Amino acid sequence: MFRNTREGLALALPAAIFSTLLFLVPVGILLSEAFRGSAGGWSVQGYIDFFSEPLNRTVFLRTLKLGLLVAGTAAVIGYAAAFCIVNLGPKTRGKVFGMVVLPLMISPVARTYAWIVILGRTGIVNEAITGLGLSDTPLRLLFTETAVFLGLLQLFLPLMIISLVSAMENIPRDVIPAARVLGASWIEVFFKVILPLTKEGLVIGGTLVFTGALTAYITPAILGGSKVLMLETLLYQRVNVSNDFVSASVIAMILIVMSFSANLLLKRIATARS
Amino acid sequence: MSDAFVKLSGLTLGYGRTVAVPALDLSIREGELIALLGPSGCGKTTTMRAIAGLLDPSDGTIEIDGRDVTRVPANKRGIGLVFQSYALFPHLSAHENVAFGLRLQKLPAEEIRARTEEGLATVGLTGFGKRKPAEMSGGQQQRVALARSLVMRPKVLLLDEPLSNLDARLRLEMRTELQRVQKETGITMVFVTHDQAEALALADRIVLMREGRIEQLGTPADLYARPETAFAAEFMGFENIFRTEGAAVVSDKGRLPLAAVPQSPILAWRPDAVTVGEGPHEGRVAAASFAGAHREYVIDSALGPVKADAAIELPEVPLGGTIRFDLPLATARGLAA
Repeated sequence: MFRNTREGLALALPAAIFSTLLFLVPVGILLSEAFRGSAGGWSVQGYIDFFSEPLNRTVFLRTLKLGLLVAGTAAVIGYAAAFCIVNLGPKTRGKVFGMVVLPLMISPVARTYAWIVILGRTGIVNEAITGLGLSDTPLRLLFTETAVFLGLLQLFLPLMIISLVSAMENIPRDVIPAARVLGASWIEVFFKVILPLTKEGLVIGGTLVFTGALTAYITPAILGGSKVLMLETLLYQRVNVSNDFVSASVIAMILIVMSFSANLLLKRIATARS
Repeated sequence: MSDAFVKLSGLTLGYGRTVAVPALDLSIREGELIALLGPSGCGKTTTMRAIAGLLDPSDGTIEIDGRDVTRVPANKRGIGLVFQSYALFPHLSAHENVAFGLRLQKLPAEEIRARTEEGLATVGLTGFGKRKPAEMSGGQQQRVALARSLVMRPKVLLLDEPLSNLDARLRLEMRTELQRVQKETGITMVFVTHDQAEALALADRIVLMREGRIEQLGTPADLYARPETAFAAEFMGFENIFRTEGAAVVSDKGRLPLAAVPQSPILAWRPDAVTVGEGPHEGRVAAASFAGAHREYVIDSALGPVKADAAIELPEVPLGGTIRFDLPLATARGLAA
């Protein structure tokens, strides 16, 4: 495309400068903080301190668990939704796909507050429950792990569906009917044909959703509050409440490592299958 | 030998509200090689997909080997289908593609290996087992697809446009291959095609379809020599089809007298059935092309264009030149209205 690589590199230069100066350098400074010993010099004491506190361990495990649950659920719902969308006629398909993408255009704050309308003490669910006489007092639905899970799932599901739809669009026509005619049940069709042919999409979608769920701030803050702390909300507390920059950097580092390992792990699983 | 090994009764097929095939009746004999022939949109592929169980009929029944399979799902019908696009699994090697169905049956590993290799050998692809579909030519992919269906020992093998994606040389090779496989296995085969030459060359019987209905059913010789309708005649290469009125053939453009009053309301001539160089009619040469054994003329006549093949020995008439011709009753095929 270019006469030589130099021209191509020249075009990539602005983006490179931008991301180096404004992203990599600050992140580098932040992360070096995570290895700063109390008496100066390098140390992993920050991590030892962090994990020796039970609350931190709970938050770490909860974040990991919710991230995996959200990504896993999104994958299951995503496959079903993507399969339907891909098999729709071109007109309906555009409309349905538009509806999937639409939430991405709405602020996550607005989308999260909508859950308060649904799950709050006087929200739709509680009105229904008390109205039907299933319970005398409204249930505490907000500030629970379930609320955070639902909020995160709703927030990131579109990313999974989009990834899987584009992956499924690339499955050659007639390959699924061919598997059917050769005797495959729908479950066998999924595991032997659809899954292997869409694993790249699953890796992308899975990484986006898992990383998104780990790093979301607004949703756990509003739906979980201080009762259901996640690493991200804990990070904010450490900086703004306790002014503890060392453990804040440690949390940031943990989040980065989790995101990267999720991506690497998913890729490894994807290539191992083929 | 059963006369109705595959039996479609009142089969009605549609996509959404549009009916593609209204109430089709068809019996296919055991061991027969049958062609569903017709232009695109005539319902031939739809019919085939219904036999395979990939499309639920809105009415009617499908019986295979005496068993009603109308509501049996595609994976339990025991039918082979070779897709026009081959539909090989791109992530699997040729060997694994062929073994796919056998593995689903949970057969012993040794049997799977043996039958897969036998299948690849049947289609002349021994040693190609490790290749991925993307590393094979179209013809090779097609043969893998054929082997993949054959190793399942299906009761019926369906083939969708099996030769249409191949070049002329491979097409001839594959045609012989299909006939050989059919002879060796004695399997009942149904193939879909829009190419009358392909149907004529391969099939024991041809089902000519039009708008979801059977226009005519017969042996290739039957259909070739004795089409019954203008549609069938046109499909079989009768390029001159005219209505008759008294002792004349007429078209929108005009009329030409005939030697006598014909019995049929429509008459059809193949280009080689038109007499050229002599005869009562005259026209101008609108197009001419050399075809080896004969010369193909398009004659601009009182009826409009008439297509005629002239023996190569006759003197060549240049474009725009006057040419004499005849539409003899003796070589005409009479058709129903």
